[in-house]
Amino acid sequence: MSAGSFGFGRRVAPTAIILAAGLVLLYVFLYAPILYVVYTSFATDVVWPFPLDFTLTAYEDLFASSLYGEALSNSLKLAFGSAVISTFLAAGGAIAVLRYRSRRRGLVMFLFIAPLFVADLLIGISILAFNARVLGLPGNLVSAMAANAVQGTAFGFLIILAQLVRYNWSMDDAAMVFGAGPLRCFAEITLPTIWPSLFGAFLIAFILAFNNLEITFYNLGAIPTLPSVAWGSLRFGLGPELFALAALVNAFVFAIFAAMYGLMKTGLVKFGYRGQ
Amino acid sequence: MSGLRSGKRLHPELRFLGLAGPGAAFIVISLLLPLLSIVVFSFWRTESYELYADWNLDNYRTLLGEAAYRTFFLRSLVTAAIVTAICLVCGWPVAYFIARWGGRYRLLLVLLLAAPFFTGAILRITALQGLLGPIGLVNMTLVELGLPPIEALMYTQLASGLGLVYLFISFMVTAIYLSLVNFNFELLEVAKINGAKPWRAFIEITWPLNWIGTAIGIVLVFIPCLANVVTPRFLGGPDATSFGMSLSQQFGETGTWALGSAMGVFLFLASFAVILAIWPTIKLKRSGFTGAVQQ
Repeated sequence: MSAGSFGFGRRVAPTAIILAAGLVLLYVFLYAPILYVVYTSFATDVVWPFPLDFTLTAYEDLFASSLYGEALSNSLKLAFGSAVISTFLAAGGAIAVLRYRSRRRGLVMFLFIAPLFVADLLIGISILAFNARVLGLPGNLVSAMAANAVQGTAFGFLIILAQLVRYNWSMDDAAMVFGAGPLRCFAEITLPTIWPSLFGAFLIAFILAFNNLEITFYNLGAIPTLPSVAWGSLRFGLGPELFALAALVNAFVFAIFAAMYGLMKTGLVKFGYRGQ
Repeated sequence: MSGLRSGKRLHPELRFLGLAGPGAAFIVISLLLPLLSIVVFSFWRTESYELYADWNLDNYRTLLGEAAYRTFFLRSLVTAAIVTAICLVCGWPVAYFIARWGGRYRLLLVLLLAAPFFTGAILRITALQGLLGPIGLVNMTLVELGLPPIEALMYTQLASGLGLVYLFISFMVTAIYLSLVNFNFELLEVAKINGAKPWRAFIEITWPLNWIGTAIGIVLVFIPCLANVVTPRFLGGPDATSFGMSLSQQFGETGTWALGSAMGVFLFLASFAVILAIWPTIKLKRSGFTGAVQQ
């Protein structure tokens, strides 16, 4: 009881040990399925892969499949477009809210954060209904990009806001006093400092759109994406190519997170992280 | 016009609108107007895959009258409530540990929690099925050992709920963590010096001062769980059909968009009710955000 060590005291509080056990359990729960999927993706027999009979067949089949190839190319285009839209809109919103004391700040904050509180399914079907019946637009890659950018903008807004809270706008004011126009000021003063947060927002929006199922599904018509092909394949049960796909996408996401972690730790880039 | 321009420079309000306007307009056009449009369509009628604008309340009558929809909705509601409660109970200790004792590993621990979320629902469920599904590691191990497989995890509502916890617990932990990381833990020392037992200090200080993070976590987990389509589809059995599954069928196989819109409105109102219920309990002045932010 009396241990109550603060952070790094010599004695560790018993509570801390119990909570640490909870933490370990949660990580096991989160990561055991992922690790098993990666392991099994290299196995000949996905039902009982012990001992491991190493093979790359699943990956070869995946790369040889024209359906998965097309789906990958669609997903990449969709994610890139959606991330570009999201980053531009989110950056504008975050800079406006932090820099100008407008009466409309509350409304803008509300609009930019609102998408986080609407379920994917509702975003998907309502945009489908609106596009089809009100605007008369068919589902295609562009409408799916826009639909995915709704959430991407919200996540991007929060990421950029978190880092820019600390940005010193008097640098910009100084540049303006010396006669720089707003665009030149942004390109030479603001952008070199804030680009990491824009990049962070871009990456998160990219991954979100890349892996989104429900919003994309309703707004793409019959065009395949990786999640929709995976969905179709999962209906027939777990196949080796699903294991390989899950392993690759996990590797892709973790590579991005590892890069972000490395950059934040070395202090090169913050992505909204303040350090201790 | 001259009032809005001072010298060569644009008025700040115009610049504010120039920067935030495109995003705000985009959200209005791609979120608010579509939501409004399904409110309108919910009073229309569908016939052979076409929407007709003759105003009626039939969709709502069907929705409230037919037992199946009530069952689907209640099932989704109860599942979402239980899953949110489990995420809360399991998420708090983890978030607390990372914020208080995480030290220099804090960032790593939080990113490791967040990363799996970004691989998307389908591939996460694929992974979960690989471990817990009928031909998953757990059941096959039992079969190899000559034991019966765990029936409770094969196409049941339990499996579907477990899948939801797997998908969304990261939201809960992250939201609570972001609140705790701004919480001044020295307040607990003060409480102890003044004779408060740890539990009392938790209930009277830590919990209320971090309620905002908890509340955001609850909402962020509850809303997607209520609209959940994917886990009952792949992990639940024949008796696991959720409201979201039924809704998505109206926009897919059956093509009854008007009824689907009414279900969407219903779903939105239910989510909104949760936000409205939780909103008055949030007092920003009493949150950790104002207390210990180092400026």
